[in-house]
Parts: sequence; C-alpha cells; structure tokens
Amino acid sequence: MSFITAYCQITERSCTINGEIVSEKNEQSGESWFKQLYKELAVDYPKFYKMDLLAQAGFIGSELIKKADQDRLVTYGDDEIALLFANQESSADTDIRFKESYEDKKAPSPSLFVYTLPNIVLGEIAIRNKWFGENMFAVLPKFAPEFFVQYGSILLANDSKAILAGWLGILDGKIQVFVFLVEENAQSGIPLNKENLIKYTGFIDQV
Amino acid sequence: MNTLKEDLKEQIIEQLNLEDLQVSDIGDDSLLFSTDGVGLDSIDALELIVLMEKFYGIQVTNPDEGKEAFLTINTMADYIEKNRK
Repeated sequence: MSFITAYCQITERSCTINGEIVSEKNEQSGESWFKQLYKELAVDYPKFYKMDLLAQAGFIGSELIKKADQDRLVTYGDDEIALLFANQESSADTDIRFKESYEDKKAPSPSLFVYTLPNIVLGEIAIRNKWFGENMFAVLPKFAPEFFVQYGSILLANDSKAILAGWLGILDGKIQVFVFLVEENAQSGIPLNKENLIKYTGFIDQV
Repeated sequence: MNTLKEDLKEQIIEQLNLEDLQVSDIGDDSLLFSTDGVGLDSIDALELIVLMEKFYGIQVTNPDEGKEAFLTINTMADYIEKNRK
C-alpha cells in the first residue's frame, strides 16, 4: 500500500505542514508571500528570485516537505523519486505577464518567456535536488484526486519508490497549493486514496 | 561615466531579479557571466539585450560584439558610451 507521509498546504495567507500552521503572511511586509516563506526556509538558492510564481510554489512546497523530515528523501536513489504535479490554470499567470511585457511595455521578457510552460516547475525541482526520476505535469479541468491515485500507482508499479506530488493552483493572486509525498514502503502514513486526498486538501467543493 | 555604471548595476539587479545582490556587490571589473563573478546565465544575456534597447536605445545585433560588451560593467558602459545615439 502507498502512504502519504508528509504534506503541506499554502494558501494566500498561511502555510501548513502536516496540518499544522508553520507560517502566516505578514501583511505589513513589503515582500511577497512566497519571498517571506523562502526567507523563513533559510535556504541559499538565489535562483528562487528568478522563478515565476508557479515555480516558486513548487520549490517552496518541495522544500517544506524535505524540511518536514530531513532524512526521509535522502534514502532514495536520484531516479527513484518521481514528480507528479497538476493544476487547472497551466502557466496562465505568467503567460498573461509575458503578454503584457510585449503588448504594453513593448519589451518581451526572455526571463518571463522561459516560464510560459507549466512543467518548468518540475525542472526547477529536479535541478535543485538532482533528481532524475519520472515526471509529469497535467493540466486538468478541475482538481482530480483519481489522477494522483491512478497515475501514482503506475509510477510506483514501475521504477519509482516515492512520489513528490502536488496541486499548484496559481492565478491572479489566488494561491491553492497542496504538495505531498507518497511512499511505497512506508510503515505508516495516510493511505493514498481519493477520499483522503479530498479530506486533506480540503478541495471538496472542487471535485 | 561612474553614474552610468551605477545605473547599469541597478538596472541589472532590477531587470534580472538579482534580489540577493546589492549594487556594491558588483565590481566594475567583475565578470558578469562567470560563477566567480556575478554568475549570469544565457537567459540573463537575453535580458541584457532587452535592457540595452529599452534604456539606452541600443540594438545589440552582432553576437560577437555582444559577447565583448557584456563581459563586465566597464565594458558595458564603454559600449553604451560609444553606441548611444
């Protein structure tokens, strides 16, 4: 059986790990919410500042999962951790900003352009961690827990031993991020199934 | 010239989202594309081309010329002085 062994959730105002609030947005700060979280993580990865919001969301989610149990992921080979992400908005948040850069400001931004695909976030996570396993980013009509359960079981039936998965809803200031770790040989955890994903994401109204 | 160099550093930090850097961290002779220097990458090079056109009205169309111009802040400032209309 496969278990969810860690999960984190980020909304516009708060961030939780395994259901416990670990950070709340400081509205007085001049820095963006994701930058606040990055600084709290205390990791040294300047490329974070160049990422778009979708990639920053995936980066922070993956770092929080690692932080939840620092020894857990290092036990896997670099090709045994798969990445399985999805959302509804694709990279629309950055697509719109890129469109503005060439329509309004008359200067198409190369650094925005490179993020006009949703799966770039997978590359950022893979580069950061030197993971070379399977990866998939799906753009779905709505949150679909079955996708994670079914595709996850296929990955685990093959060469993957663990899956870093997540829903990365980022558009127009709205943040709906849920990142979780699925492990095949864990001794305990939350069984990976549709009901539990609905319960722990809290996305019941979207299913 | 010194003001131009300071402006360039500020624009590079702003346009390339180098938020972990201060103007004082970038030396006039620091190699922009070396990991021992500022550590810019190929996407940053494209951003520099956009920056040159946007702020100084200079189109960098010759790749060899751009390669030399973007070596350091000093070479960028020289290139701007020579090509600014």
